[in-house]
Amino acid sequence: MLTSGPVVIMQLPEQLNAEGVRTIMQELEPLLETHRPRIVLDCSQVRYMDSAGVEMMLHCLEEAMKRDGDLKLASLSPEAEVVLELMRVARVFEAFATTDEGVCSFNAVPAEGVSQSTSWYANIFGDLGAIKQAS
Amino acid sequence: MLSAIVIVGPEIREGRESGVSLENASSEFPLAATQLQQTAPLACVEVLGRSVAGRLIDELRRADVDTISVFADAAIAPRHAGVGSSTNVTLYVAEDPWHVAAQKLASYAQTEIEAILVMRASAYVEFGLTDFLQSHREQGKAATRAFDKEGPLDIFIIDKTRISESENILTTLRASDTARYGVRGYVNRLEHPRDLRQLVVDSLTSRCRLRPQGSEIRPGVWIDEGAQVNRDARIVAPAYIGRDARVEAQCLITRCSNVEINCQIDYGTVVEDSSILANSYVGIGLDLSHSIVDGNNLLNVERNVTLEITDPCVIRQNRVARKEKNRRSPIVFGFGGAQFASAEEGSR
Repeated sequence: MLTSGPVVIMQLPEQLNAEGVRTIMQELEPLLETHRPRIVLDCSQVRYMDSAGVEMMLHCLEEAMKRDGDLKLASLSPEAEVVLELMRVARVFEAFATTDEGVCSFNAVPAEGVSQSTSWYANIFGDLGAIKQAS
Repeated sequence: MLSAIVIVGPEIREGRESGVSLENASSEFPLAATQLQQTAPLACVEVLGRSVAGRLIDELRRADVDTISVFADAAIAPRHAGVGSSTNVTLYVAEDPWHVAAQKLASYAQTEIEAILVMRASAYVEFGLTDFLQSHREQGKAATRAFDKEGPLDIFIIDKTRISESENILTTLRASDTARYGVRGYVNRLEHPRDLRQLVVDSLTSRCRLRPQGSEIRPGVWIDEGAQVNRDARIVAPAYIGRDARVEAQCLITRCSNVEINCQIDYGTVVEDSSILANSYVGIGLDLSHSIVDGNNLLNVERNVTLEITDPCVIRQNRVARKEKNRRSPIVFGFGGAQFASAEEGSR
């Protein structure tokens, strides 16, 4: 585990199966319980990932977002990319070519800058009320 | 009279008791050692309802070749033992099919056969047999080898009358002075699973003469017998759904995808620019693109990544229907309609 300011970089293991998930979750679980967790998962070493790995990623993302944080992926190996696309979850995550880019993305839009009253999807889809009125 | 010898197996191996070898054979025809290929050549994998090897035999039968001898590697053929015989096609099973083929070639000395077509079922090649024969006769050499723009192919015509009885005919094939016949038609060397995918695309877009089995229910959509497509599934042309395959509700099969025999595509899955090889199950709500699925193996052609997926809910090998047990993929002959003798005399 590495830290870059408030951002934590976690290196995922080569085998991201139930066993690998158990190991990584021991480190991730306490991080997810902090306020506004900002995590970058380095997927460069992942050569095998099953549904346990995908579920772990989704669980971590959900937990991070609950606490107003985020989880991003970096240096996706082709194997990880194929599995995430196959299971239709690739688009759920923000993915970056390098961990540095992943870390910078947190700094570019500080979490503090987002209003707490704004729903999470407003960043993506804009103001739904305005869209409804326009349509 | 023309006879044909078809080798179904690896390229000519060196150092066997027959002493038969082709120089540079291994470098010219490398076997793609992928999980998808396993021990059988890709020509034996069923594609668009029938394997390339099976289609080759059909083509030879249609061309009125007098006798067709198929020499199959023992690692492949025992799965197909017990199939019937026909008037002009005989299957020989051997540890070293090239060695047995050489013996068969020698036995033609006492027959009326004038020319022998020797080919390995490895690549998909479209060529005119009559044109090839004519070219062979005009050049007047003992053997003529087919070439395409990428180099030599494993297709020869041997003139029996120009070879002495004591000569090992396969040695003639090694000779550098064999005549050349340039193949002008479509060639797919099937060296890598991505070539198989390319063959499907080329067939469905009519870039080659290979036609899917079954019926074209609307332009570009081919459905084979027994296939079940849910009314809420969408098949976008060009696409092929094989025998006894099932496509469940809300699925989308598109962009030159083929779903082979006894496959199941489960609810809501999108199959785009992909090949689902025989007896494969693809789970619920997946996005499959630019890939080849064979049981629990997935090859992403775009990223050149092969994955073995152990979660049976995602992809897995489907149970093979009793009647189809001899046609499992990828170790499949797929000769289907062509009838073969279970003769194993070649290996004795």
